[in-house]
Amino acid sequence: MSEVHLTINSQSVTASRGQTILAAARTAGIDIPTLCYHPALSSHGACRMCLVEVKGMRGLQTACTCPVAEGIQVETNTEAVIEGRRFALELLFSERNHYCMYCPVSGDCELQELAYRYGLDHWRYPRTYHKMAVDASNHHFVMDPNRCILCTRCVRACAEIAANHTLGLRERGSRSMIMADVSVPLGESSCVNCGACLQVCPTGALIDARGVYGGHEEDLTHTLTTCIQCSVGCALDVVTRGNRLLRVEGVWDSDPSGGLLCVDGCFKPLYDERQRITTPQIRRNGRLTPADWDEALDIAAKKLKNGSALGLAACATTNEALSTFARLFARNKAGRMEPAAPQLGYGRSAQLQDILAADLIVVAGAHPLSHQRVVGYFIKRAVDQGAHLALLDLTGSDLEDYATLLVNSEDAGLLIEKAAHVERAVVVYGVDLTPGAIKALKPLVDQSLFLALDAARNGKGAEAVGLEPLDVEEAEVLYFLLGEQRENGAMVGRLNGAFTIVQACYYSPLIEHADVVLPTPLWAERSGHFTNLEGKVSSLNAALPMPENVREEAEVLDTLIAML
Amino acid sequence: MGKITVATQWLEACAGCHMSFLDIDERIMELLKQVELTSSPLTDLKHPPQEGVDVGILTGAVGNEDEWAEAREMRERARFLVAMGDCAVFGGICTMRNFFDRDDVLIRGYVENESTVDGQVPCHEDLAPLTRYVKSVGEVVPVDVYLPGCPPSADAIWYVLGELAAGRVPKPERELLKYGLDGA
Repeated sequence: MSEVHLTINSQSVTASRGQTILAAARTAGIDIPTLCYHPALSSHGACRMCLVEVKGMRGLQTACTCPVAEGIQVETNTEAVIEGRRFALELLFSERNHYCMYCPVSGDCELQELAYRYGLDHWRYPRTYHKMAVDASNHHFVMDPNRCILCTRCVRACAEIAANHTLGLRERGSRSMIMADVSVPLGESSCVNCGACLQVCPTGALIDARGVYGGHEEDLTHTLTTCIQCSVGCALDVVTRGNRLLRVEGVWDSDPSGGLLCVDGCFKPLYDERQRITTPQIRRNGRLTPADWDEALDIAAKKLKNGSALGLAACATTNEALSTFARLFARNKAGRMEPAAPQLGYGRSAQLQDILAADLIVVAGAHPLSHQRVVGYFIKRAVDQGAHLALLDLTGSDLEDYATLLVNSEDAGLLIEKAAHVERAVVVYGVDLTPGAIKALKPLVDQSLFLALDAARNGKGAEAVGLEPLDVEEAEVLYFLLGEQRENGAMVGRLNGAFTIVQACYYSPLIEHADVVLPTPLWAERSGHFTNLEGKVSSLNAALPMPENVREEAEVLDTLIAML
Repeated sequence: MGKITVATQWLEACAGCHMSFLDIDERIMELLKQVELTSSPLTDLKHPPQEGVDVGILTGAVGNEDEWAEAREMRERARFLVAMGDCAVFGGICTMRNFFDRDDVLIRGYVENESTVDGQVPCHEDLAPLTRYVKSVGEVVPVDVYLPGCPPSADAIWYVLGELAAGRVPKPERELLKYGLDGA
């Protein structure tokens, strides 16, 4: 029987066997305070805030780790419980520097909130004044051990969410310290800057280097949107104050990554130093000069009407823009700039979550830890849980350290043998998949799911409207839909004198050779939809207004269609 | 019921707590009906009267030998001692110097300071020597009521004095514990 009956504060509660008292209480709507507990992490029972009394048990129990049992009587608010929590708070406050007056998270701090709740007007214990160095060696966030309460949420987030195991504890007792690797500065450590530790820290011990002084929670706006930095499409919580972008957080329990982000979504876009294009421009007497939209679109439309045209889209934009782009070039040729993963011709598609449930993961022709990092972290998580990782025809992969099998497609027998002993296999493959590997993987088709890693961000969105990978070719007019995609000048030598129209967010070598430049919004300003590598469509919601003279790509492309 | 007598003193402090006290604004007229203010940094009388007061209020931390003596004097002369503000209650921002050697702090502040030319550490018999550690009032003398906050809000101060005037022991909670005027 999996149901358990107990009472909490004399209220009858039904819970499932194996649940903790905390989970049972929360389901029943009974509040128990917590501090080291975090719903996205395993329970640790370190902070003693969730202390409860269980009749007949000696001492007080931590509700976040104590499992329910038939017939137990739990009390969450007795004098002994409150005294225990206050005592723990006094110890936490007296151990390090918890003076709120010079802490940037004062007002949004979980420790401070508990002190208010339990009326902690002073503490009785002397402070030790150990000098602890602040670690500001990481570009994106700062670790201040003086504010740390050693709840180990960050350690658990690093291990359980990012599967990176950078953070750990050193020393014992009051000398315990959170450390990176073997106690090296964070900036020199194996940290991958996924931001998970920063997001779970309950105090001011881990603070965002850019946005932490930007305002208190009550001043901030949270906008839920979708990351478009790669094809995974993680859910983002974009934190703004007025028109200022402060930080980006993951969204717990969201599709597809459950709250995990990577440096490409969490930090890099906030530090992009490329110069923004904020007004349409046209080439006059050999020089690019600002123009108004009517003028720029007029020239673009005339050229598109009268010459052979080729449209090339970097899939760094919305489904709406890609579909309008495909319509604009319905009578001409258009395609996407990024290569696609080859068609296998067999196999069922995997979802990202399938990786976590797999016993065997095969990676071929892809480097997820560099390009779709969250997929890489998911693979590492599965390996942590005991899954086997096989790399097929992959050399120099940053996943090598976690693999149990490295095979070439000629020796694929080894892989087939391994697969024979597992129930669920997931094959993760990318653009570099070799024909030999395609053949070698075929015997796995029955017990495996297949996940193609698209090199383009919104590759699925492009695929849906028939934009296939296409190379630059001779045309009288070349139209590049770049969005915020980085352009390193590879196209410059291949324009062959074509009249060049570029719709982009930032200046790049290609802009210098364009004849018409049309500005686009950037990720945080976009509205519309995005299709991720699993084929799931999610919405983009603007967290910031576009600069005055910038327009949505789809709107601009629609106008051009109407003008033709 | 007669008026209660109150004395206040600031120790190692920025004066912000006394400013916050003045922020009770026109309520001070109401307060003065119930309270007789004897000595304070705002009055001519600086030391609490020898015959004692009902309530002594200390703001600021204890960081030099004079402040130590003032804290003891207030304790001896007040039936009821209130530690007001984060410095009096916890040591507060003044305790930042506890992380360093006392002489290093003085040299850094008076000689090596970027905006100082030809500086020297002040040294005179009128200047009280710094103690090794800055302490909270509670670490030096027994305290009866703690009112944290940097500074405590005028409402919190009004509440504490009102309760004391009415002969009750105040116990500030929730909003009244929050430091700063915006409740942050």
